[in-house]
Amino acid sequence: MTLTRRKFLTLSTGGAAAALGLTGCGGSRDSLGGPDELSMWTWVGSVNDSLIGQAEKAIPGATAKRLAMTRIGTSYKTKVLTALAGKSLVPDIVAMNDDVATYFPNADQFLDLHELGADRFKGDFLEWKWKLGITPENRMMAYPMDTGPTALFYRRDLFAKAGVETEPEDVAAAAPDWESYIQLAKKVKAAIPGSAITDNITSIYLYALAQQTKRYMTPDGQYIGDQDHLRQVWDLAVRVVKEGLSANAQADTTDVNAVVTNGRLVAFNAAVWWAQLGPKNAAPATKGNWRVCAPPGGAGNRGGSFLAITKYCKDPEAAFAFITWLESAKNQAEAFLDPVLFPSTPASYDDQRLTAPDPFFGGQRIVDVFAASAEKYPGSYFSPYDSVIATPITAELVNVEVGSKTSDQAWKDAQEQVHRELSRMGAI
Amino acid sequence: MAVSNAVSAPAVTATTKDPAGRPPNRYRRALPQYAAISPFFILFAIFGAFPVLFSIWLSLHSWDGIGAMQWVGLEQYSYLLSDPKFWAAITNTLIIWVLSTVPMLLLALVIANALHNATRFRSFYRIAYFIPNITSVVAVTMVFGSIFSNNFGLLNAFLQSVGLNKIEWLSQPWGIKVAIATIVTWRWVGYNAIIFLAGLQAIPSDVYEAAKVDGASPRQTFWRVTVPMLRPVILFAAITSTIGGLQIFTESQVLLGNSGGPGGAGTTIVSYLYQNAFGANQFGYGAAIGWALFILIVLFSIINWRLIGGDENDRLTSRLRRRAGKEQTDER
Repeated sequence: MTLTRRKFLTLSTGGAAAALGLTGCGGSRDSLGGPDELSMWTWVGSVNDSLIGQAEKAIPGATAKRLAMTRIGTSYKTKVLTALAGKSLVPDIVAMNDDVATYFPNADQFLDLHELGADRFKGDFLEWKWKLGITPENRMMAYPMDTGPTALFYRRDLFAKAGVETEPEDVAAAAPDWESYIQLAKKVKAAIPGSAITDNITSIYLYALAQQTKRYMTPDGQYIGDQDHLRQVWDLAVRVVKEGLSANAQADTTDVNAVVTNGRLVAFNAAVWWAQLGPKNAAPATKGNWRVCAPPGGAGNRGGSFLAITKYCKDPEAAFAFITWLESAKNQAEAFLDPVLFPSTPASYDDQRLTAPDPFFGGQRIVDVFAASAEKYPGSYFSPYDSVIATPITAELVNVEVGSKTSDQAWKDAQEQVHRELSRMGAI
Repeated sequence: MAVSNAVSAPAVTATTKDPAGRPPNRYRRALPQYAAISPFFILFAIFGAFPVLFSIWLSLHSWDGIGAMQWVGLEQYSYLLSDPKFWAAITNTLIIWVLSTVPMLLLALVIANALHNATRFRSFYRIAYFIPNITSVVAVTMVFGSIFSNNFGLLNAFLQSVGLNKIEWLSQPWGIKVAIATIVTWRWVGYNAIIFLAGLQAIPSDVYEAAKVDGASPRQTFWRVTVPMLRPVILFAAITSTIGGLQIFTESQVLLGNSGGPGGAGTTIVSYLYQNAFGANQFGYGAAIGWALFILIVLFSIINWRLIGGDENDRLTSRLRRRAGKEQTDER
């Protein structure tokens, strides 16, 4: 094609008009994807690939619909917020992490799953997990995916070397609460110098908090993060450090993996997903030496995710059919094998795919320990402000561990910052 | 060429043939030209000007990213001024900037001088010094992370092997800053050296010959010929390093995570912006921090210009002259 002036001008003005048209929104309020597609956004490793593969051909329970899934690499939440802020080309279904409550103030952006008949499935799920997706105004914003029950991971070989109990039942019996657990850990440390039961102060705090029935706020919006239940968790974390049982490997540093690899971390009260992130990835040579048992201090939960349907969804019934199918007990059991998501449906816990002995844990049936923890966990209210409150508190705990502040000073400073943040956000 | 001739010829005849009595419509005649240059302006308006203006608008609101934006006027800015963490972030950034820029520019000057005088393997050295700049910051930071790591870092292993105490690089406020500054220096020293080298090569050799004839020592030549002649290049390097230094983010983010490390000692202005906007979803406050950073950069560029640049004041040269004079008297 010879480029004449006329042609060039037509092309360039056309291009400019197209560019303007793109940003002009044109009043469309549709979701992403074609009319026969349901679009879904999630992060890497949050759903089972073969199940998604099936739904990409045809969604079970919905006629002539298929799934178009996008795995968002990094800064997932930012991208979801950006899409929602644009009010157009929003995905039909979005995954949410355990910060699901931060979306509560904008629950009107998502469909109320009660209205789609979610209550039919309520009995299939852990009760506390079900509640986490419901706002205080009783709007069901999010549907349960996996959970993160906690248990005590420990190195059986090192416990044997230290001459303490080695079998899961015996360890659980010897350390039913944090006090007896610390005594046990001190015995191990006396035999094996350098032993630690946590990578850093923050982990102890977060996992002890994950066992509480109350966290930072009440459902009616009162701040309770300065009360005794939280101060006890704080003091416990400080105590573990003062007893010399923390490895002082701060979060986000390479030390965190190093303490697993070199065997300093002899025990860790952590959530089910830590097995994969910690020893299985960082220390494959320790295969067969790990065991899990009931956690000291009671059942807990940290982590776990949800699915929500946005108000821009073009076919809510089909979207709902898809999420209930994906999160059925049978399919959640599938997702436990890959990418190791712990089911929120108790019926999965007897599934052969979960009950198979795990060679990494010396052939132990670890699902029994985590299932008991998940079923016994009392549940707790997560407020929209939990992550805002947790940031200064955990930051000040680190100051205690590295020795730049006393516990009391750090507590006072943390509370001051929390009050400042909450009053700015209009939460108190 | 054929195309441009074909295009321009009818345009000329069209204008000359305009019917007399009716003045040619200036706007209509200029339209093709405007249309031809419009793509840049349209793209700039969408991707350049709009975000800038929107961030001003945003900084006057409270917004969590989804719901309605709430007008708060200048409240974000007044909160900013009374926010100790923001001031701490500025202090951190400035300390890291000084710790990285000063050794970086001095080292770059020395390296550039060495490269300039090198006779063998010149291209090899140039490439070798430039490579750090094009490696991935994230990967580099992770490598440095394992060098500086508190318990099992290479640096601490070395210190202990020579009988010194280990230093908790990533827990102590100064350790954190030194670690970040080291990464920045390592990454940018070669880049600046290449820029200085370009400046050096532009200096005419007869100036050096004249200095040689006058019996100047290499040191005197360096401080009294090379540095003054390099002044515009130094100014450029100093200003770009300042802008880069005030925007340090990735190193702190990868090394220490969102929190900026113990006590927030590694929180820079940009990482504080990121924490607020994308960690806590307070986009209005994030925008306000962005504008504070903008003001700061303008301020520092002016200071830099005054210190190193300035046509008539000749500040650097006069200072160097004084120093050189002092050296001479010292020698005598």
